[in-house]
Amino acid sequence: MPQSCEATITLTGDLHARPAGALSVAAAKFGATVRLSAGEKQVDAKSVLAVMQLGASSGQEVTVQASGPDAEQAVAAIVAILAEASRVGE
Amino acid sequence: MAPKVGIVLVSHSAPLAEGAAELAGQVSGEGVSIGTAGGTDDGRIGTSIDKVERALRLADSGVGVVILPDLGSSVLTVRALLADADDLPDLVVMADAPFVEGAVAAAVTAAAGGDVDAVLAAAQEARHATKL
Repeated sequence: MPQSCEATITLTGDLHARPAGALSVAAAKFGATVRLSAGEKQVDAKSVLAVMQLGASSGQEVTVQASGPDAEQAVAAIVAILAEASRVGE
Repeated sequence: MAPKVGIVLVSHSAPLAEGAAELAGQVSGEGVSIGTAGGTDDGRIGTSIDKVERALRLADSGVGVVILPDLGSSVLTVRALLADADDLPDLVVMADAPFVEGAVAAAVTAAAGGDVDAVLAAAQEARHATKL
């Protein structure tokens, strides 16, 4: 039975190209669908171009939603990458 | 680690191919083989069938290669190679995709372990990506 999971993190740095790539590579390894939302936009986390287009910037809240058998692990992995990307802030 | 689909960037300009490869490699992280074939054999703007063939062989890890041409006449060079060369790697496909966005999307999908069809689809879907 599909499971859903969601978490929100406030970025402390802009989401640049490299972390966006790391995020999409990680998301693609899960069977669950993974979506990111920031402001009015919501995108497929497995599409690096969509993640970059999200334009998530420092101070913004990003919500990670996953749905599927490994949804919980997917959200944990993506939130960890967002936290790390924020910290590096490159 | 399982072998990953390779990528070859074919451009009329060597710096353009190398720059796009560097960018795609940085975004996707290590582990994806991205070959480049930019410019003519004597370093001018143009394309070289020999450079494409070398890049293709280097990029192949046995699970396929996706080639991205920059502009239309790169397509002709790639097609000529695929039609004439012997013993090319199996599963070589050409993507109809924007060069930079396609390279980045393809590299990320290859890094995640996508097969040739998935990497090709990621490159080609890049055409629909907006930036703003």
